[in-house]
Amino acid sequence: MSALERIQNLDRRIIFLTVAIAVILPLFFPLRLPIEVTAPVQQLYDVIEGLPAGSVVLISIDYDPSGAPELDPATFSILRQCFTRDLKVFVMGLWATGVPLGIRALDAVAVGEYSRKYGVDFVDFGYIPGGAVALVNLGRDVHNVCREDVYGTPVAEIPMMKRIKSADDFGLVISMSMGVPGSDQWIFYYHARYRGNLATAQTAIGAPKYYQYLQTGQLVGLIGGMKGAAEYERLVDNYGLATVGMDSQSSAHVLIIAFIVLGNVIYWMEKRRKK
Amino acid sequence: MLMTEGIWVWIAGVLTLAIYSFLYKDNPLYKIAEYIFVGLSAGYWAVYLFWNFAYPNLFQPLVSEGNYWNIIPIMLGFMMFTQLSRRSAWLVRFPLTFVLGVSLGLQLIAAVEGDVVPQLAGTFAPFSKGALFNTYDFWTSIGYIVLLVGVLTTLVYFFFSREHKGVFGGIARTGVFYLMIAFGASFGYTVMARVSLLFGRIHFIMYDWLRIIR
Repeated sequence: MSALERIQNLDRRIIFLTVAIAVILPLFFPLRLPIEVTAPVQQLYDVIEGLPAGSVVLISIDYDPSGAPELDPATFSILRQCFTRDLKVFVMGLWATGVPLGIRALDAVAVGEYSRKYGVDFVDFGYIPGGAVALVNLGRDVHNVCREDVYGTPVAEIPMMKRIKSADDFGLVISMSMGVPGSDQWIFYYHARYRGNLATAQTAIGAPKYYQYLQTGQLVGLIGGMKGAAEYERLVDNYGLATVGMDSQSSAHVLIIAFIVLGNVIYWMEKRRKK
Repeated sequence: MLMTEGIWVWIAGVLTLAIYSFLYKDNPLYKIAEYIFVGLSAGYWAVYLFWNFAYPNLFQPLVSEGNYWNIIPIMLGFMMFTQLSRRSAWLVRFPLTFVLGVSLGLQLIAAVEGDVVPQLAGTFAPFSKGALFNTYDFWTSIGYIVLLVGVLTTLVYFFFSREHKGVFGGIARTGVFYLMIAFGASFGYTVMARVSLLFGRIHFIMYDWLRIIR
């Protein structure tokens, strides 16, 4: 068997193994590659920086644990920026499986790092069922959709909720989204009716679709995948999982590009040999 | 102790390895992990949706507040199960018609208000009243021209009522280039997403479970 045939018949498990090695090695030997901040991420950061103290930021946890590696770092970074800027945070989600992720993020950042008070500085309404229908009603009457918080406290007993009645009371809405329901519903059903500032953080697989909404001004910012989250970590000067992950990303990408080039070269060689 | 003592972290670690063992070949460990995942997901959703959605919004207002209007959605909900029997399957049309009607009404407006009109405006607005090159800088203006050419040529590619030949064919082929660039960007982002998932699990194994990295 020639070298060419041997490569063509390469056991795919060897490729899996090399990709795993490419991801694992930078964890032990960090490459510390530079991370440049792109315009969509910078725009979101600037919008939050421009909000007056006391403004309310709605963060919608529209992802589940499989989206956590990409979206958790962005959620944590945005929360840090909000509490540093003395903004109020209203958390909810369109995914039932995202509820524990929202609680965990608020416990770690709001309570653990910034000692903020629940009900005064931040509030968590957990899962809001109904997707698009819920968002249409949310913008009109928040109290009608969010009747109890995630701990079962009636909305009337939460001090922060006294000043939050409708879409007009949110300075910014950010959908941390990995699918449906998520950013699509926020853009089409909420923003189209109530306007205001809307931004999104996306898993990488969904990000390309949302650049068009950035260009039309329907979104004021976009964080795309782990790369976007790493950029945000740099902006808030708190380096975490996304920054660590970018070294593994980069080495895996180089390897995959090498495989693609190799595959094409072999394809052309084989084609020429057959001629 | 090097490894964490948390039982749930151990279970999550072992199940992660069990799922990845499929990359070597299909095996009973993978099957067990797969079934646990499917079963747990279904159970979690069912219980969560009942106690956080159906109970507080439908059953509780009906019983404690006497809101008898809620009987209608409850009945529509139960009618979804009528398809389990061939004799009563026709009843499922009522709740399905209701869901389709509401969805269609909502989506029609949303698609026009939230997508079609703003996207059309975003594509053509830069060309109105000489805004191009006057309002925007040189490269932004070039970008808008590239965007407009892309939109029009791609639309031509999807026009199948005329054979893609001659000038028309050339325009359609330009549209194909735009499509290829879009697919390439999506593929690149997809690779990034998948590597992120792999990194997430490997970081969990190395950091949370085995604690061999800091």
